[in-house]
Amino acid sequence: MRLPALIALWMGALSTLGWAQTTKAPPLLAPESWPRLPQRLVEMGLQAAKAPDWLVSIGSFAAAAATVVAVFLTAFALLSLIERKTLARAQNRIGPNRAGIFGILQPVADGIKMLTKEDIVPTKSEWFLHLLAPVLIVIPSILALSVIPYGRDWLPVPMELGMLFFFAVGTMTEIAVFIAGWASGSKFPMLGAMRAISQMVSYELPLIISAMGVVMLSGTLSLSGIVEAQAGFHLGFIPAWYVLTPWGFVAGFIFLIAANAESNRCPFDLPEGESEIVAGHMTEYSGFKYALFFMGEYLGLFAISGLGITLFLGGWQPPLPGLACVPSWIWFFGKLAVVIFFFLWVRATFPRVRIDQLMRFAWLCLIPVSLLTVPVAAIWQYSGGGALGWLLCSAILLIPFVILTVRFNRRMATSNRRYTFAE
Amino acid sequence: MIPLLILSPLILLAALGAVWKARPVHAALLLALVLAMIAVLYLTVGAEFVGLVQFMVYVGAVAILIVFALLITRPGDEAAELARRPRSLAPGLACVAPVLGLLLYAIGTGVPGEAAQDCPPAMPVTALGLELFENAVPAVLAVGVLLTAVLVGAALFARDPASKPQPPIS
Repeated sequence: MRLPALIALWMGALSTLGWAQTTKAPPLLAPESWPRLPQRLVEMGLQAAKAPDWLVSIGSFAAAAATVVAVFLTAFALLSLIERKTLARAQNRIGPNRAGIFGILQPVADGIKMLTKEDIVPTKSEWFLHLLAPVLIVIPSILALSVIPYGRDWLPVPMELGMLFFFAVGTMTEIAVFIAGWASGSKFPMLGAMRAISQMVSYELPLIISAMGVVMLSGTLSLSGIVEAQAGFHLGFIPAWYVLTPWGFVAGFIFLIAANAESNRCPFDLPEGESEIVAGHMTEYSGFKYALFFMGEYLGLFAISGLGITLFLGGWQPPLPGLACVPSWIWFFGKLAVVIFFFLWVRATFPRVRIDQLMRFAWLCLIPVSLLTVPVAAIWQYSGGGALGWLLCSAILLIPFVILTVRFNRRMATSNRRYTFAE
Repeated sequence: MIPLLILSPLILLAALGAVWKARPVHAALLLALVLAMIAVLYLTVGAEFVGLVQFMVYVGAVAILIVFALLITRPGDEAAELARRPRSLAPGLACVAPVLGLLLYAIGTGVPGEAAQDCPPAMPVTALGLELFENAVPAVLAVGVLLTAVLVGAALFARDPASKPQPPIS
């Protein structure tokens, strides 16, 4: 009963937006550029006040950054609630439902709780590094969010080397995790940091290699250029996204798995597996610093999902030809919601893997297959993408996949392991 | 010019700290800071590609490698390290002096300020890529082969010769 009503409401909202776009609204107020409204207003205000040029550009950048931060902090608060609700439904519970209707005020309550908690700094820790780690973990996520094209008219920082920038700032997270683990001066954080760094280093390789085919075929490192390379439709209705090619499907899937591991989420949440090492590198943190770790993790999840959408799912491109009238950022955030829901579903479904399974999976399965997608992307390009291309590329990718699957399904004999540090 | 004036003293201080700190983790983190600030310096002069690659390779890979090596090895005796310090000062300076002299000589006889302004504007990445993969292909291939050999060699060294590969059961 409620679903058709919701769909009707949603369609109504979409058509209103589409109508508002086709009518001759001033460009400032067109739905397409709503997200850029704060930036434009600040620019116009400063120019009207006869501010010097450097002040105008600083103000413009600050407003663009503030928009991104505001949008994604709201999304973070919402996601923390939606994740708990979704997991609860998957486990046949109800989830948070006390604070506000449907528990909508739960994030606010959590925020107040986190802010008012005692900030504990262990005596054996190094206070400066202990303070630095949570800050360093949030910065790269926000920097990475700033180069993603959210819409036709909404790219916070236009950059020719956007993808390189994304991966370059992403490496800062590893240092931050190490600092957190080491500066806490305790064993669990140290072990958690070691696990986290080895996992991040291992899964960064398939992540970057699987993005290589996209760069080769679109011929650019700029993320908006990559989105534009995926414009258009095959046969009039199949979108020309990279995920709908044989190599792109495999690379996109590898990207998804590696992104899941890179953001330390279940089933790859070994660095903070509660039943094994308390909370990993966050064990000695409390209050707002702990909240900052969570914020960094969720913002990182948004950023890496956004990059995946940009590379493989066509960014802000609409999925069907007639839908270009809807503002492009709605499509981007719709896709983001789908990808994030997929991550939640994976978390609710899979049990945590063991550390040796984790490493073997990365080095023996993901990295070889992702390396294979690079030449297959070249073959796809030169075969013209017809039936022959489909056949050839699928065969090259399927054969190693079958071999690896058979190999992995064999049970490995485990020998006795001696833990020399525990004796 | 202003970023250079702000950054270079900071880089020098952090570099001195990296050499002087007795605790290896502090030294490694300061080294990472030095490398990151050099990347920022590249970015401020418009060499975006070099700056980002510097960040990715040195901060993301080399610093992490050093940190990882520190994690899996036994920490040294810090007091003994501090006691050794005065004796290692002279050989250290003897190594640094020629490098410093060479650098000063190069800067002194290199392009003066006027000529430096004539240098071409920042190279677009596509031009850089074409240069690398068209004119410098042999060098790129040689480096690739070398790195692969190093990787295989490292894997061979890391293997414990006593342990046999585990046979699959079933």
